[in-house]
Amino acid sequence: MTSEGLTVTQRDQLMVEQEVGKIYALFSELPPSSKSILLELQRDEHQEYLKRGLSILPPSFASLDANRPWLCYWILHSLALLDGYIEPEMEDAVVDFLSHCQDPGGGYGGGPGQMPHLATTYAAVNSLITLGGSRSLSSIDRGALYTFFRKMKQPIGGYRMHDGGEVDTRACYTAISVASILNLLDDELVKDVGSYILSCQTYEGGIAGEPGSEAHGGYTFCGLATMILIGEVDRLDLPRLVDWLVFRQGVECGFQGRTNKLVDGCYSFWQGGTLTLMESLHQLFHGDGLSDSSQSDASELSGDEGHATHDHSCSSHGPENTMASINLRDTSYNFIHGRRKGGPLFDSLALQQYILLCSQLRDGGLRDKPGKNRDFYHTCYCLSGLSASQYSSSKDLESAPLPQAVLGPYSNLTEPVHPLHNVLLSKYHDARDYFALG
Amino acid sequence: MHGRPRKPEKPENAAASAAKAEKLRLLQSQFLSNHHNRIYTKEALEANAKLLEINPEYYTAWNYRKLAVQHYVAEAGSDPQAIKSVYDEELRVVEAALRQNFKSYGAWHHRKWVLSMGHSSLDQELRLLDKLQQLDSRNFHAWNYRRFLAELLNRSVEDELMHTEDMIGINFSNYSAWHNRSMLLCKQLKENDTGLTSKDVLSNEYELVQNAIFTDPDDQSELIISRKQCQGKCPLYEYRGLNIDLKEFPVVLYFNQAVSGVRSSTVTVKSFNVTWKPLSPSNSLASEIWVAYLNLAGEECHFEGPITVEFCIGQSQGILSSSGSPYGKPLRVAFTVTKEPIRVQDVEGHNPEMVSWEDPNFCADEVDSGVLNSDVSFIKERKENKESTISEWQKDTISKEIAGFRDLLSIKDYKIGKLTLARLLMADDALSFPYGNRSVHSAEVLELLKDLTKSDPTHSRYYEEHISLVLLQQLTSSEEMLRRHLFYFKGANTSSFHKPLCLRLNNLSLSRLGLFNKLLGVQMLDLSNNELQSIEGLEAMQLLSCLNLSKNKLGSFTALEPLRHLKSLKVLNISDNEIGSHSIDTRRYLFSSPLSHNEAVVWDPDVVPSDAASPTNYWEAFMLFKSLKLTQLDTIGNAVDDGRFRSFLVKIMPSLLFLDGQKLV
Repeated sequence: MTSEGLTVTQRDQLMVEQEVGKIYALFSELPPSSKSILLELQRDEHQEYLKRGLSILPPSFASLDANRPWLCYWILHSLALLDGYIEPEMEDAVVDFLSHCQDPGGGYGGGPGQMPHLATTYAAVNSLITLGGSRSLSSIDRGALYTFFRKMKQPIGGYRMHDGGEVDTRACYTAISVASILNLLDDELVKDVGSYILSCQTYEGGIAGEPGSEAHGGYTFCGLATMILIGEVDRLDLPRLVDWLVFRQGVECGFQGRTNKLVDGCYSFWQGGTLTLMESLHQLFHGDGLSDSSQSDASELSGDEGHATHDHSCSSHGPENTMASINLRDTSYNFIHGRRKGGPLFDSLALQQYILLCSQLRDGGLRDKPGKNRDFYHTCYCLSGLSASQYSSSKDLESAPLPQAVLGPYSNLTEPVHPLHNVLLSKYHDARDYFALG
Repeated sequence: MHGRPRKPEKPENAAASAAKAEKLRLLQSQFLSNHHNRIYTKEALEANAKLLEINPEYYTAWNYRKLAVQHYVAEAGSDPQAIKSVYDEELRVVEAALRQNFKSYGAWHHRKWVLSMGHSSLDQELRLLDKLQQLDSRNFHAWNYRRFLAELLNRSVEDELMHTEDMIGINFSNYSAWHNRSMLLCKQLKENDTGLTSKDVLSNEYELVQNAIFTDPDDQSELIISRKQCQGKCPLYEYRGLNIDLKEFPVVLYFNQAVSGVRSSTVTVKSFNVTWKPLSPSNSLASEIWVAYLNLAGEECHFEGPITVEFCIGQSQGILSSSGSPYGKPLRVAFTVTKEPIRVQDVEGHNPEMVSWEDPNFCADEVDSGVLNSDVSFIKERKENKESTISEWQKDTISKEIAGFRDLLSIKDYKIGKLTLARLLMADDALSFPYGNRSVHSAEVLELLKDLTKSDPTHSRYYEEHISLVLLQQLTSSEEMLRRHLFYFKGANTSSFHKPLCLRLNNLSLSRLGLFNKLLGVQMLDLSNNELQSIEGLEAMQLLSCLNLSKNKLGSFTALEPLRHLKSLKVLNISDNEIGSHSIDTRRYLFSSPLSHNEAVVWDPDVVPSDAASPTNYWEAFMLFKSLKLTQLDTIGNAVDDGRFRSFLVKIMPSLLFLDGQKLV
C-alpha cells in the first residue's frame, strides 16, 4: 500500500508499530546482559513514584476531583503488586480519608461530601482490602452499603452508577464485585443482572458498556467477571468471546481495547486479565471443582458453615438464605481454585515484553504506549496485566510460576492477584475470612 | 474506570497549577456548601458551571444542576420560553465540559437527561454532534449518544446508514462506524417496513465490505462483519430407536443453546416417570444437554419386545433460553427400544474377559449401514423448514466471498485473511449441510488452520483446538468417513450377541473434543495417543462402556470428572497420562474434605496410606471412582501410580476385576 492511501487510523497504527518496532529492534541487538537489565522491573523507582503520589492524598489536601478513591486504589494496589511497604501512619491516613468519603447512607463518593458512587465504592473497598487489618476492614459499613446497592439496582437488569446516574456494565461489575468480596451477594442483588450483561455482548463476541454499543476491553472484563461471580457465565457466547479476545493482541505484543484501535498498556489487564479468566473457565467447563456432584457436596457443607456464621445484619436486608445465595457466596472462592491446564490463550511473554520495554519508564511509573506520559491508572493496570501474564501458565493461582513463564529476571515476579476482584490473593483470603465472621 | 491520563507536573507549571488548584478548591467548597444548603441562586449556578468546566467528572455537581433545573422550571411556571432557556443553559454547560473532557460520563449523561425532557432543538443537537464526531470519530460516548438521539428524533435507518457511510468514507478503519452499521442493519431487517428484502440489504452490505477489504486486507473492521452474516442456527437433535440391554435407558436431549426449565412437566414421557437432569458442568441450571433415565426394568416395562417411548417437548410452558425466550412449537417424538434378553455372561458372578486395546484386536470389516445408524449415531434431525431461511443468494454471497479471499490470498499472504477464509468455508458447509451430514471444505480448512499454527504461533493453541473440532466434524460428517474409524472388536468374548463396535479416534493429535451429539450411541471409544488435557463434553455419551484415554495429557483425576456421569462405563484405560505430576491445590477441599459428614460419601480414612506422598490424589481418585462401577482399569504410567495406590484402588472399587493388566483375585 502506498502511504497516501492510508486512513488516519492506519497512519496512527503504522506510527505506533514503527515506534515499538524501533524499541524491539534496538533491544534485539543488545548483548544478553544488557537485555536482562532492560527487562528488569524497576521496583524501587515505581515504588518511589507511587509513594510520592500517595503522600499528596490525605484529607489535608482538599479533594480536588471526583476520583480520589480511585487514586488510592491505583497506588495501593500497584504498591501491593510490587510487595511494597507502606508506613502505618500512611495506612491510617488513607483509612481516615476513605472514611470521610463514606456516605452515611452507604457507599463511597469520589471525595468527602460527594454523593456515593458505585465505581468509587469499588475503588475504596478494594483499597481498604488491600491495606487489610481490622481497623481498615471494620471501617466499611456493610449494612448501609447493602442498602445503597439495593437503591442502585434497577428493577429489571443492571445497576445505576449513582443516584440519577448512568446504567452500564461497569456499574454491574463494581457492585457485584464489592458485594461478593464483602459477603453481601444475594438473589436480590443478582436478579436480572445476567440478562443485562447478556444484552451487552455484541456479535463480535466482546462485551459493550451498554446494549447496542461497541465491544470494549474494559467492559468485557467487567461483564465476564460479573457473570462468573453471579454463576451465569455459561449464558454468554464464550467461543465467540475468545474469538474476539485473542485477536486484540497485536503485532506490538500489547493489547488494543477495541477493533482497529491503538495498543494501550492498560488493556494488558482488561484484555489479558480477561483471557486468564477464560483460561480458568476453560478448566471449569471441564468440570474441575465445580461439576455438579462435587458442587452439591461443597455447597451442602458450606451451607452448614454459612449458617453457623451467618451475618445477621445482612440477613435482615436480604432474603432468606437460600441455596442460590449460598452458591453466590462461594462463586468467587471456587473460581480461583479451579486449576488451569495447558498454555495460555495469549502470548504472555510477548505481553510482558510490551509492558517492560514499552510501557515501563526507567525512572518509575508505567504508561499507555511510548510517547505518552505515566500516570497512576496505567501504572496500576500495566502491573496488574504483568501479574496476570506471569501467572497465566501456572497450574493454579497460588503456586509460583516457572522461571520460563516470567520474562526477565525472576525477581520480576509480582504478587498473585484474585483475577475477578483485582486485589492481592492473600488480601482476598484475609477479607473473606474477616467477613465470613461478620 | 479508564481515568483521564494525568499530565505530569513540569516545574515551570507548578506555580500555575498551584493557583489553579487553589481556585478549584474554592469553587468546590462553595459548591458543596450550596449543595448541602439547597441554594440555587444564579451565582451558585455560575460557580457550579465553572467547577464543571474545569472538572466534568464531578458527578455530584451534575446532580446538583438537575435539582437546580427542577427548581427553575417550577419557578418558570407555564412559560415555555423561560423553560427552554433553563434547558439551553444546561446544554451550554455540558458543551463546555465536553470540550474539556470528551470522555466524561457525567457530562454525556447530563446531556441525555436534558434532551429527554423534550425542550431542546434536536436538529441543532444533531448538527453539534456531527461536529463533535468529526473531532473524535471513535468516541463510544458520542456513538451511544448518537443512537439515543436518532431514536429520539425518530430518524430513519437510511439516514443513519448514510451517516456511517460518510464516516467510513473519511476513514474506513473506523470500526465504531461499522459497528453502528451492523446495529442499524439489524434494526432495518427487524422492522422490514422499507420493502427491502434481507437479500437487498445484505447484498449491498457485502459490496461495501468487499470494497473495503480490497482497499486494505489487513484491516480488522470489515472481516468481523462478514462473519456475522454467515452464522446459522443448528437444529434440535433428538434420539432414534436402538437395541440395548441396559436396565436404565438414557434419553439425551440436545438443544441448540443452553436452556433451563426442562422437567417432567415440560418434557413429558408417556408412561414413564422421569427426572430430567442438566448435563452442565457449571453450577447453573441451564444446559444444552439434558438427560433422563427410563427405567426399563420397572413395572412400566413388564413385557418383552420393543417398547415405544413417546415424548413431547415444550407442551407446557417453562423451557427458557438464556435470553429468556420460551421454547417454540411443541415437538412430539417417538422411538422404540428393544430389550435384549439378558446374556449369560453378564449375569453377576460370571467374569467377563479382559479388554485389550492392542491393534490386532480390531478388525475393519465392512460395517453395514443399519448397524452404523443404530450403534453410532442414531440421531434423527428434526426436519425444519430450513430451506426457506437459507436462500440461494446467501450461498451465492458466501461463494463470492470465498472466491474473493482466495484471489486475495494468492496475491498476498496474511493471517486474518486466512482465518476469514477458513471461517467462510466452514460457514459454507454449515449453510449447505445444516445437519452437518457433509463437509466439502474440511480439508482446505484444515490446511489453512495448520498454516496459521505455523505462521502465527501466538495463537497456536486457539488454532489447534479449532483443528481438532474441524477434524471431528469431518470424521462425523458422513457414513463413509465414519466407517474408516469403526472397527469390530474381537478381543473379548466374541460369542456375544453381536461383536462390539469400536470408534477409534486415536493418533489424531486431538486437543479438544466435540460433536458428541453425533456420537451418542457409541459404546466403545478409543481416544488414545492424542493431546487431550480435558474430556469436557464426554458426559453426553451416556452409553459408553469401554473407553481408552491412554497416552494423552490428562493432568489429574478431576480432569476426568465428566466420567462420573457415565453410568454404563465398565472398562477404562487412563495409562500414560500426567495424573499426579502436577501439584494440587488443597484449599478446594476445605468444603468437601473426606472427614466431613456427608451421607453420600462413605470414606474410610484407613484406605489411604498414612505416609502417602499426596493424599489429595487419593481423595480425587476416590471422588471420581466412587460413582463408577468399573470392572477394568489401567492407570500405569502416571506419576500417581505406585503399588500402594493400586491397593487403594482395589479397596475403593469392589467391582474391579482387572487392574493394570492383571486379574485380581
